[in-house]
Amino acid sequence: MKGIIKTALCICCIWIAITGCQPSAENTAPVSDTVIISQMKFTPDVLYINKWDTIVWINNDIVSHDVTEAASKAWFSDTIQSGSSWKTVLGKSADYFCSIHPTMKAKIVVRE
Amino acid sequence: MNKLSSIARWAAGAMVCATLFSQTAFAQEAPKLTDPEIASVAVTANQIDVEYGNIALKTSKSSAVKKFAQTMVNDHNNIIKQAVALAGKLGVTPKDNAVTQQLLEGAKKTKDNLKKLKGKAFDKAYINNEVAYHEAVISAVKTLLIPQAQNAELKALLVKVAPLLEAHLHMAKEAQAKFK
Repeated sequence: MKGIIKTALCICCIWIAITGCQPSAENTAPVSDTVIISQMKFTPDVLYINKWDTIVWINNDIVSHDVTEAASKAWFSDTIQSGSSWKTVLGKSADYFCSIHPTMKAKIVVRE
Repeated sequence: MNKLSSIARWAAGAMVCATLFSQTAFAQEAPKLTDPEIASVAVTANQIDVEYGNIALKTSKSSAVKKFAQTMVNDHNNIIKQAVALAGKLGVTPKDNAVTQQLLEGAKKTKDNLKKLKGKAFDKAYINNEVAYHEAVISAVKTLLIPQAQNAELKALLVKVAPLLEAHLHMAKEAQAKFK
């Protein structure tokens, strides 16, 4: 009986040790954030990121697009062909759009 | 100058009316189309807008209109390439039909009228036509081509094209508003 209880306690301790060591969601910083370009939209149209995250735009649409910072064209991609992607690192919130199809608009928001 | 601008306005109005009338290729009682006929309509409708765009690139002096026209040429050529590739993959040969013919007849009249215009009169007529043309094509895609397409991949391509056409229409309307 004592042996069974000891074994059970050991298993419990090991279990607690394993689950206690797993990183919490708050400690897991994403390596990159992704925007999908499809059906003439940026999804998500508002992307929340941590400062200096890498953002990847993946063009899953049937035509080429680009991404251009709206206020002063501070950053922009070349034409992103269908099936291709483009990435950049951002430290500041920004509105952006597709300069080929200017009705396509979205924004990046840096978390405080 | 006043006489010239009134002629240009009349010509533009007549051209838009002719285009809208020709657009009734889609507005009459819905024809029954097979997949090869749908493929032909899809390719022809895109080719027509490429041709309108090429006329604008040659004629317009406005950088905004040229940029819009270049996007139309690039995007519609892209769709043609995908439609032709899909037709090849499916072993479907696009088949000429009454709808295709009506599109082509309407387009010939529109192109002839556009070629008579210059300057702002041309720009306005081109953009007005782009609004009307995209509205007609969107209606045809949604109410005729998609519902009647039998092959799932052909239907899927048409469904994918619809948002592009809507975006083009939105862009054309924004350009049109600048002429008011």
